[in-house]
Amino acid sequence: MRTGAPAQHRGYYHVGLQYDTDDELLAVVVPFLLGGVEAGEPTFVALGERTGGLVRAALPAGSGVRFLPGGEVYARPAAAIRAYRELLAEQVAAGAEQIRIIGELPTTTFGATWDWWARYESAINHAYDDFPLWSMCPYDTRTTPAAVLADVARTHPRFATADGLHVPSDGWTAPDTFLREARPIPPDPIQETPPTVVLVEPTPAEARSAVYDADRGQLKEDDVEDLVVAVSEIVTNALRHGRSPVRLRLWAGDDRIVVSVSDAGPGPLDPYAGLLPASDGSPGGLGLWITYQSCSHVSLHRGPDGFTLRMTAGNPHPTR
Amino acid sequence: MLDGVRSPRTGERARRHVCWAYDDLESFAVEAERYLLDGLASGAQVWYVTARPDDAVSTHLRRLPAFADALARGAAEVVPLASTYTSGGVVTPAAQIAAYADATAAALAAGHTGLRVVADATELVRTPAQLDAFCRYEHRIDRWMHTRPFRAMCAYDRARLGPAVAELACLHPVANVDEPQFRLFAAPPGEGHAEVAGEVDADNRHLFRTALDRADLHPDDGELVLRAGDLSFLDHRALVTLDEYARRRGATAVLRTSRSAVARLVALLSLSSVRVEVGP
Repeated sequence: MRTGAPAQHRGYYHVGLQYDTDDELLAVVVPFLLGGVEAGEPTFVALGERTGGLVRAALPAGSGVRFLPGGEVYARPAAAIRAYRELLAEQVAAGAEQIRIIGELPTTTFGATWDWWARYESAINHAYDDFPLWSMCPYDTRTTPAAVLADVARTHPRFATADGLHVPSDGWTAPDTFLREARPIPPDPIQETPPTVVLVEPTPAEARSAVYDADRGQLKEDDVEDLVVAVSEIVTNALRHGRSPVRLRLWAGDDRIVVSVSDAGPGPLDPYAGLLPASDGSPGGLGLWITYQSCSHVSLHRGPDGFTLRMTAGNPHPTR
Repeated sequence: MLDGVRSPRTGERARRHVCWAYDDLESFAVEAERYLLDGLASGAQVWYVTARPDDAVSTHLRRLPAFADALARGAAEVVPLASTYTSGGVVTPAAQIAAYADATAAALAAGHTGLRVVADATELVRTPAQLDAFCRYEHRIDRWMHTRPFRAMCAYDRARLGPAVAELACLHPVANVDEPQFRLFAAPPGEGHAEVAGEVDADNRHLFRTALDRADLHPDDGELVLRAGDLSFLDHRALVTLDEYARRRGATAVLRTSRSAVARLVALLSLSSVRVEVGP
């Protein structure tokens, strides 16, 4: 038996929460959490330091609410999905009939990397739908950019209000639609300079060499190794499933290496490409999923000229 | 020496077993000369094994004073292929290794430090069945070479064999070919089951699987230890291949590599039959 607003709902009940004040946040979150504990439902919090502290202080001692390290969960979208799916599967296996989670993306995700987090917020409507999950995603209207709030409205089917209601989101767009839209790749300033390397139709081995050659010690060794894995997978995909010409461009900066791979094809047909491992054996799906877990940021873009995927290792939050 | 050979291991241990794919007999003759004269200098008996004992390589070697002198005193021989290997048939690995074991023992008994062979084996790998058996033999004798003073350069005519050269080359610790970009060869006794070097990706993973099958590794205590100190890349497909291989053999593949990304891939893919030990 599920309790609360999703009592009659099957699968994932995904709720957005836009709050203007801390009191408004607590007015929704505290009853949500305590209601979960009272119903015997596993109840989790994955918030940042400030809001996590507020919620912790507002809960009674020994409330039974479990706190997850919010920052670590939200390092990369594909990794967050993987971790949450494992957590949810464990809870269901242990007999949970509903799981409640409140999880807040760190404000660092609202900048240059928002594109893949917007994809995350959309994709999880599908990725968590295997589970009886009721989750809330709070967004502080004082610190969240308007463009982000616009995407939040499109990726959350409903919003919670401070008076305990749930109202449908006017902007709601199903993930199959949202994820297929041609979103521009947010420019990285380093791309305004000429690329360090341009390769046309490189073999995966040549692409891997180019990454190693670009490493001047500006990145951690593990980050270079992971970027090599990612670039190799994406070039392999482009050569095998894309359309000629395949072009690799690489920019080596002081704190990051950026690699874009483009081809003249339409890109992966799976709207969840990268965020979920392709269980249906979609061409290149596993390689793209590995890429999403191996870089600090991945952007993809479908345009009239073809498909481009951009990978960043190192600092994904460039400043001009 | 061995210019253009793809291997970071140019030490004597790796040069125990060299694959030399040749485009013309003239360049092959120069390589055979180097390899065999090295052998003579180390006190070994040397053989040039060929289907045509009057070929251009033999002629080149016979003109060399050092080789001619060795021929005269029995330290060198030009040996017809048919007398060394089963003619026209499919090689039987155990019998072939026994034949070289006898020849090595005879060389030692005659006062040489061992036996060093350059063998043009092109004629022995012309059919798929011959090729498969010979590849299996290549790994078996590579393992045996760690234990006896026997050294060999296996030469193959690239134009006549085409892609089969890659299947043979990948089973040698040293080869002069660009494809495939990996090598799978025997580890020294007590140091694991095999060594993997180079790169395995989508382009050569089928050959990687074939090479593993032909190496026919037998686990000890449920483990297949693969030393991968010279491994530069192994993609997720290769790891899945390795996982399946180990599982079929009731073992866990233990991959010893300096490449930390391999360990992260294994964790990401939740592979249960591969364990990565990351070290220097």
